[in-house]
Amino acid sequence: MNDTLIQKGVALAGQTVSQEAGNSLFLNWWMWLAFVEFIIIIFLLFKKRVKSEGTAKRRFKKEALGQEVDFDNIIDSSFNSAHLYDELKVKCHPDRFPTDMKKNAIAVGLFQEISKNRNNIKRLLELKEEAIQKLNINQP
Amino acid sequence: MFDNAWNNILDWFRDRSERAKLLRSFNESARAAFVAGIAPTLLKASISKGDSAYRHQFSNWLNTGFRIQAFTGRVLAKEELVRIGKVILDDSVLVRRLIVLGWDTLEIHGDAGTYGCRWQLKDFIPLPKFNGDE
Repeated sequence: MNDTLIQKGVALAGQTVSQEAGNSLFLNWWMWLAFVEFIIIIFLLFKKRVKSEGTAKRRFKKEALGQEVDFDNIIDSSFNSAHLYDELKVKCHPDRFPTDMKKNAIAVGLFQEISKNRNNIKRLLELKEEAIQKLNINQP
Repeated sequence: MFDNAWNNILDWFRDRSERAKLLRSFNESARAAFVAGIAPTLLKASISKGDSAYRHQFSNWLNTGFRIQAFTGRVLAKEELVRIGKVILDDSVLVRRLIVLGWDTLEIHGDAGTYGCRWQLKDFIPLPKFNGDE
């Protein structure tokens, strides 16, 4: 009786051990499969990112967004650049320096820059400083 | 196809954030200039419907107008509206940024009256031709 019980117990234990080993092998397979899928997804995302960053449209967009916009200058220019432009275009006009060829040449360059930046007060103030130094525009 | 859709979704969120940031920066600068007495008029930027005739390759589906409202309490003369518009349009960095963020129309108007000025942004910057699949 006891021998039969022991034999049955050993057989059951053996069966359980073999089942456990099969299960863990099965779980291992799933883990490896998930890992491989993960690697493939990462590879595809990386590949797409590298590819998409290279397109011309994206490059154009990236460059445009990378530049800084000076909003303070824009707001200031909206209301104050016209007055300064009117002042500078008179004071720096090349016709005011008909005899001095050197100053006339400087005035031509400055006048072109002033006309180009008529809506940019920051640049106009820089040009005013330059005109004061090179053309003495503050003298009556 | 999935990758493209995913990139478009990411771009949409990124652009939305950039658009909000640009509007906030503009409005903060305008408010600071008004408070400091640099600007006699308070300007406020917002998003409007825009003009569908002004579309370009970066245009959004909806709401493609960049509207600037000048709070003067009176009807602004056309010269005053044009003056503000010209300053915006002369800043090529700002125009380029407005275009890539999906705006195609610039609108300037006052807080009184029914008239305003409107410009097509793509007229003020050379836009390269891009392939349709890019």
